[in-house]
Amino acid sequence: MHKKPLSKQIYDARWCYLFVLPCSILTGMFVIYPIGMSWYFSLLDWSGFTKEAKFIGLKNYYEAVNDEFFWDAFIRSFIFMFGTVPVKIVLGFIIAVFLNNQVLKLAPFFRTVIFMPVVTAIAIIGIVMTFVFSPFNGPANKFLMSTNLTSAPIDFLGNPDTVLPTVMGVYVWKWLGITMMYWLAALQTVPQDVYDAAKIDGAEGYRLWIHIILPIVLPFAIVIILVEAVGALNVFPLIETMTAGGPFFSSEVMEIYIFRTAFVTDSGTMPRLGYACAAGVFWGVAVLFITVLQGLWMRRTRRI
Amino acid sequence: MKKKKELKISRRTVMKGALAAGAMMSAGSIPSKLFAGEYNIPDPLKPLPTTGGNMRWIDSGDMKGVFWKKLFPEYAASRGITIEYDGLPWKEINKIVPIAIRNGTVHDVFQLPLGMDPGVAVAEGWVQPWDDYIENIDEWLAAFPSGVYLPGVNQFNGKTYGTCLTANKRTGTCLLYSEKYMSEAGYDPQAGRMTYSEIRDAAKKITKNGNGQYYGWIIGGNQVNRWEDVVHTFGQVGGAHSGRGGFTNRHINFQNGKFQIASDQYMEAVELLLQLKSDGSAFPGVMSMNAPQARALMPQGAAGMIFQGPWCIGVWGRDAPDWKYGIASEPVPDGKEAQPLYIAEGGSNTFWLSANSTMGPFAGDLIRFMGTEQGQIYWAQTVGAADPAVNPDAVAKAGLTGPSAQALSMFAENILVGPNPIVRNKDVGIVAAKSRVPDPSLALVIQGLYTGQLKGVEAQLKDCNQRYEDALDKAVEEARADGANVTRDDWVFPNWDVYSNYGAEKYQEL
Repeated sequence: MHKKPLSKQIYDARWCYLFVLPCSILTGMFVIYPIGMSWYFSLLDWSGFTKEAKFIGLKNYYEAVNDEFFWDAFIRSFIFMFGTVPVKIVLGFIIAVFLNNQVLKLAPFFRTVIFMPVVTAIAIIGIVMTFVFSPFNGPANKFLMSTNLTSAPIDFLGNPDTVLPTVMGVYVWKWLGITMMYWLAALQTVPQDVYDAAKIDGAEGYRLWIHIILPIVLPFAIVIILVEAVGALNVFPLIETMTAGGPFFSSEVMEIYIFRTAFVTDSGTMPRLGYACAAGVFWGVAVLFITVLQGLWMRRTRRI
Repeated sequence: MKKKKELKISRRTVMKGALAAGAMMSAGSIPSKLFAGEYNIPDPLKPLPTTGGNMRWIDSGDMKGVFWKKLFPEYAASRGITIEYDGLPWKEINKIVPIAIRNGTVHDVFQLPLGMDPGVAVAEGWVQPWDDYIENIDEWLAAFPSGVYLPGVNQFNGKTYGTCLTANKRTGTCLLYSEKYMSEAGYDPQAGRMTYSEIRDAAKKITKNGNGQYYGWIIGGNQVNRWEDVVHTFGQVGGAHSGRGGFTNRHINFQNGKFQIASDQYMEAVELLLQLKSDGSAFPGVMSMNAPQARALMPQGAAGMIFQGPWCIGVWGRDAPDWKYGIASEPVPDGKEAQPLYIAEGGSNTFWLSANSTMGPFAGDLIRFMGTEQGQIYWAQTVGAADPAVNPDAVAKAGLTGPSAQALSMFAENILVGPNPIVRNKDVGIVAAKSRVPDPSLALVIQGLYTGQLKGVEAQLKDCNQRYEDALDKAVEEARADGANVTRDDWVFPNWDVYSNYGAEKYQEL
C-alpha cells in the first residue's frame, strides 16, 4: 500500500495536533523547561539571584558526590522508602481486605476515618505532630507515662535514634488511606464469580487470598509499589515542618539537603542554586532509575 | 577619613530617662503608650502623590511587627494609601526575598537576606536610593549618631540606599529567668553576673525543686543558630574577643585575623551546655522546639532560665503580663572578669527600597518621620529593648521602665563598637558574597555535640575552626580572582584596643 507523505499525514490529523497543542505547551512550560533549566543551572556556580553566574562544567556534581552529607541524605531517603513502603503496602492491603467485605456495615465509616489524614494539609499535620510528640505534655508521652510504658518522656523528634522512625510512622499514618484506596480499587476488579467459583471448589480463608485473589491483583500491586516508592522519596513538607532535617542531619533526606543548599543559610551565607540543582539532577536520575527498574519488573510480572 | 563621634548611650543617661519617666508613669514594667495606638503623624514636608496605591513592606517582624501594625493603619489613613505588611522570621525572609527579587515581585520596602552583601544589591540594581524621597536628607542624616550611615554599608556612590532606624547594640543571649524559681534556688542574678558554676548549680536546684514539673534551663534546640549565638556570646564574655555579624566577621579575632572557634572560651561555653544536659537540668525536648516555642514555655512555668534576647520582653509583657521574670547579663566562666562584647559599626534592621517601587514618596515620607525624634520615641515606646531605637535622646525620653530599661542599660555597659573589615575595605563585601559556611557549621557542631552524635568537644571545635579558616581563604581567593583587592590582612587590626570603641580615627591609623 502506498504510504502518504509525512506532511500529508500531519495535515490529515491536524485537528488531533491542534487539540494536543495546549497540553504540549503546558507540559513544555511546567515540566520540560524546568527540567532543562535545572540541568543547565547545575553546570553553573550561581547563587540563584545575582547576575553573576560562572560556567563550571561538572564541578558541582564532583563536589556533590564527594560530600558525605550528600550521601548520608541519599541513603537516608532510601531508608525512609524501604521503611515505609512495605508497611503501607501490607497494612493497606489488610485493611482493604477487611473493608472490602460487604457484610461489614461500618466499612464506609472506617474507610472515611482512615482516609481523613490524606485530605488534611501535610504542613498542618507536620506542625500538629510536633506537639503530639512533644516530651512536654505531648499526648504521645502522656499516654506512655500514664500506662507506665516509660518512666521518663521520650524526645521523639529531638533524639537522633527516634526521629526518623517517628517521622516514618507519621508518614505511614498520613498516607495509609490512599494505599488502602488503591487496594480497594484493585480488589473490586476481582469479579464476584471468582469468589463464588473458589468457594464451590473449597478455597476459603488464606487459600482463597493466596492462590486466587493475590495472583489477580498482583499487577496492581506492582503499580501501587511504584507509586508508593516514588511518593516515599518526596517527603519534603512533612520533614521540613516536623524536624527540618535535624537534629544534626538525623532526618535530612535528599529533598531537605537540596533545599538547604538552594537557599540562604541560617549562618548567613549565600545560597547555591547551581549546586542544589546538581544534587537535584543527580537525585532525579536516581529516582528515574528506580522507576525504570520497577517498570521492567512490572512488565516481567505481566508476562508471567 | 572623616572623624566620627562615637555612639554613646551611657547607663546613667538611660537610667536617668527611665527614672524620670517612671516617676511620671504608673507602676508596671510596660509603658502606658505600649499597645495604646495613637500617633501624631506630621504632614509631609512636600505634597505626596494623590493617586494613592498599596505599599508592601516586609521585615523580620517580632516587636517591629507589633509597632508597624499599630502605626501603618494610621499612617496609611493619613496619606490615602494602603499598606500591606509581612513580618516574617529571618528563615522565611532568606527564602522569600531572593525569589521575589528574582521574579520582580519583591516588596516596596524590604530587608536583605542575612549575609547578603548590600553592595551586590546596589550593583545588581535591585534597590534605589532614598535620597529622592526623604526631604532634606542630609539634614535628616545629620541627626543620627555617627557610625550609623557609612559608605560601603548603607551608602553607595554618595547616595543612601539603606535606612536604619535601630541600633545594633544588643545581644540575643541574655539570662532571662523566673524570679520565683531562681529565688527558691537561692540565687539573685541582680546581685551580680552569675558564673558558669552558679548557673549550673541554680539549674540543678530549680530542676530538683520542680520534681519533674519544671526544669532548670531551656533552649530552642532545633533552631540551630541558638547554639552558635550562646557559645559565641558566652565565649566573648569569657575573653574570646571577636566580631559579630555575618560569616566574614563572626568568630574572628581582629587582633590576628583568625577564627577562634577552638579557643578555650568557646570550649568552656560548649562544656557548660553539655553539663546542663548531663546534670539533667535541661528541659526534656529542647531538641524538638525552636526559639519562640522555648520562649513561650517560660511564662508557663516550664523552666527557670533561658538564654535569649530582649525581644522576649515585649512578647512576655503582652502574653503573660503577670509573670515575674528578670533579665541579667550573660554568665561568666568561673574566676574570670566579664569581657566586652563587640558590634560592628552601622545600625540594624536596614530597610531597602525596591528599584521597581512606585511608592518611594510614601516610603521616604514614613522613614523620614521615623528618623525624627518623635518617631524614634514612638518606636522606643513600643519596641523597647527588642530593637533599640538608634537615637539615644529619644530612648531616654521614651519612658522605658523595668526590664526594657534594664536591658538597654546592660547593653550600653557591656557592648563596644569593634572593627569592621568592610568599613576598612569595601571589597570585603565581595568576599562576603562568595563565602559559604562549611558543613557542618559551628551551630550544627554544637547541636551534634549536645545530641551526642559528635564526640570530643576539643577535636570537633578544632576541626570546625579549620573548616572556617579554609572557607574564608577560599572566598578571599575567589574574590581576588574576580578582581577584588583584598587579602586576609584586611581582617587584622593591630591597633584594636579591646576595651574601647573602634572609631574612625582607628581606621585612619591603619
